[in-house]
Amino acid sequence: MSIVGRLYRTEQQFDFPALWKKALIASALIVVVSLGSLVFRGLNLGIEFEGGTSWEVIAPGASVAEARDALAGTGAVAGKIQTVGADSIRVRADIDDAGGAAEVTQALAALADVSIGEVSVTTVGPSWGDQITNKARNALIWFFVIIAVYIAIRLEWRMSLGALVAVAHDIIISVGFYSVFQFEVTPATVIAFLTIMGYSLYDTIVVYDKVREIGRRLGPTERYTYTEMMNLALNQVLMRSINTSITSVLPVLSMLVVGSFFLGALTLQEFALALLIGIIVGSYSSIFVASAIVAWMKEREAQYAALARKVHLRSGGSEGTRMVASEDAAPGAARTRPTADRVRPAHAPPRPRKKKKKKKR
Amino acid sequence: MRRQLTFAIGAMIVALAGVVYTITSGNEPLLGLDLQGGASVVLEPEPNEDGSEISGEVLDQAVDIIRNRVDGLGVREPEISRQGSTILVQIPGVEDQQRAIDLVGQTAELRFRPLLQETVAGTPFASEHIALCAPESADDEEAMAALYSAPTPDADADECMVAVDRAGLGVQYLLGPAPLLVDQQSNPGARLTGETLETASARLQLAEWVVNISFKSGSPGIDDFNALAAECSNGTQVCPPTGTSPATGAFVGRVAVEIDGVVESAPTVGISNFDRGQVVISGGAMTERDAKDLALVLRFGSLPVELTPQESRIVSSTLGEDALDAGIVAGIIGLALVSVYLLVYYRFLGVVAIASLAVSGAMLWTMISWLGESQGLALTLAGVTGLIVSIGVSVDSNVVYFEHLKEDVRAGRTVRSAVERAFPIAFSTIVKADVASLIAAVVLYFLTVGQVRGFALFLGLATVLDLVATYFFMGPVIRLMARRDSMGSHPKRFGIPLVGVQTTQVSA
Repeated sequence: MSIVGRLYRTEQQFDFPALWKKALIASALIVVVSLGSLVFRGLNLGIEFEGGTSWEVIAPGASVAEARDALAGTGAVAGKIQTVGADSIRVRADIDDAGGAAEVTQALAALADVSIGEVSVTTVGPSWGDQITNKARNALIWFFVIIAVYIAIRLEWRMSLGALVAVAHDIIISVGFYSVFQFEVTPATVIAFLTIMGYSLYDTIVVYDKVREIGRRLGPTERYTYTEMMNLALNQVLMRSINTSITSVLPVLSMLVVGSFFLGALTLQEFALALLIGIIVGSYSSIFVASAIVAWMKEREAQYAALARKVHLRSGGSEGTRMVASEDAAPGAARTRPTADRVRPAHAPPRPRKKKKKKKR
Repeated sequence: MRRQLTFAIGAMIVALAGVVYTITSGNEPLLGLDLQGGASVVLEPEPNEDGSEISGEVLDQAVDIIRNRVDGLGVREPEISRQGSTILVQIPGVEDQQRAIDLVGQTAELRFRPLLQETVAGTPFASEHIALCAPESADDEEAMAALYSAPTPDADADECMVAVDRAGLGVQYLLGPAPLLVDQQSNPGARLTGETLETASARLQLAEWVVNISFKSGSPGIDDFNALAAECSNGTQVCPPTGTSPATGAFVGRVAVEIDGVVESAPTVGISNFDRGQVVISGGAMTERDAKDLALVLRFGSLPVELTPQESRIVSSTLGEDALDAGIVAGIIGLALVSVYLLVYYRFLGVVAIASLAVSGAMLWTMISWLGESQGLALTLAGVTGLIVSIGVSVDSNVVYFEHLKEDVRAGRTVRSAVERAFPIAFSTIVKADVASLIAAVVLYFLTVGQVRGFALFLGLATVLDLVATYFFMGPVIRLMARRDSMGSHPKRFGIPLVGVQTTQVSA
């Protein structure tokens, strides 16, 4: 049976914990590269963050060299000139007075042989960008705090830590990608990064909710360690993760492809690119980062450490993650089953024998 | 059973009613100017001189004045709103966008100043006039001449000013200080500014465009203007004769209407006592547009606060419409791909998922149209992307439930019992995850500005409607479907593989 078929029938069981260590190394490596690039290369920030003016005009057939000639004598001749899509010219320069900007507008309108109104112009004051950046940063901090509190209340504090680390991981890698390839960061990109956070959290919460459900059911049987239960949760949500990623990526891919056929769709494309990276990284991190962190912390909790020792003793000290037996994995199937090694407190009196012994299974 | 039927039908009726209402009332989504072309500018107030923040009341006042100014341009549906401590002006589809932005950004105080001398730019002013500006240091003529050799747009109302002309014809003016108001008791130190004006309008008078000005009565008002008019019509030292009055033929002085170092108009004044509603600026071969612009500036020249444009954006209509088309096409293709995937993978469950998407989509369209029509809330490109993204989020709610369902059926439950059991569990997961999205949307909405804010709003809206559609439509419909023999006994039709599943077994 093919792996796709087994996945479809949810019969495929992966050993995710075995991959956690490799994933950790890979993640750490990418995060380091991202941070390094951020420190040494920085980000290619759009005028919205740095101040300045940008122009865009549809000028079929015009080349960058022609545009530069047309702009000779204006303040934008030293600026950044590029062609965008098939027929658009985009110019960016450090001009923030109205007079200088108008000259460039006129030159571009003449180049494209259109009226001045057909040239798109964006001017941003130098201090405005700082304010936008500050506001975004404040929003981010508040978001993190509120989300952490929310997850701690609805789930538990270890999970809010795991979720935040995973989100930070996603954002660092996505921003790092923009830094490494020096793609321009625009407000659309920022929105995309924020969406990435949303996706990543959503994925992570779905996994956490599942492992809690399984923990409540299988925990009392004392047959599986926390990591093994986490692995079951991951396997059970795997198809959901794959399907959700596919259905999320499809519209985004469509934005990316369709955008290249339309002239004014640059924002759409910028957005789609950032999202594509984010969705992939986000799905990865919910399975390999967020879950690993919580499992690691949980295994150090006294309750689960004792459980793990007990499970290991019983299973003859075998290493690695055992798969949860299918009759236990099924929801509603497993019941609390007292085992022989259950320890009762010494001072407790012997349990009175019931008249009718309830039959278990 | 009955409850589920009520929910499902109710949700469909609400969605349908919304669509019908939207169509019959003619509501349409209001397109942001990045989708239809236009001009937008973000204005930020300069803080007060003592560094304190500008009060919201003052900003609201400024918003009203700017709204009047933009309305004067005859633009359809301009949008002027306060966003926190800034003012956002959006003028869709305006013909000459740069002109609109300039006009809106004109925030400086309008002053009436006596004209001392008019020269070609670069020519020094006569020393006798300069001497008037600073009599106490008139002994150092050279220093004074240097002081007034270039435009001084930052000069205060009580100082002389070197101003330029509006049309940029290379003329420069030496203007005297704006005179003190006649009534110095209630307004000590106040000078002749736009405060004295009641209104101004352009009209056609004897085949010539003129601007008719109405002053307020008393002081500040017509009394103050007449005091200056008396000086000018007599050509005194304060307002020396610089032009011939067309009315009397006498050589008289001129009053300059100055804003931000630019002389909007400098008419000769031949009469010394005007009625407050009868001041007319005429001549100078004013075109209709000149006259209307001048009237606008006179009417709304002075704002209660100084505003600096922080971000101005002009989007050509071609690029805007293109972006809209791209957004729509991308949305449709994306939706089609998602639909095909859902159908192939989940069969009849997929049909329900698509129907659920349609229900929440219809509600969303109603909301967006209503918000656009009644609240002036525009759908921007960022909003459109937010909506395209929300397709994925909405589908996810379905996927979470369906996968739970499959898991349960695989464990040996019948489709019927699995459907009942899995919904509350899946819905609790969906709520937990959606609330996280909602928190993100709310935080972003209240703490950011501009594009990010628009995105947050539509993301939040889509998330709420996703919960509504899931709870009231998707869940009940699937439960109803599972009860039918043609469905409930055939897991395969639900996209649930048969291998290893005993459909007849009743769960313990």
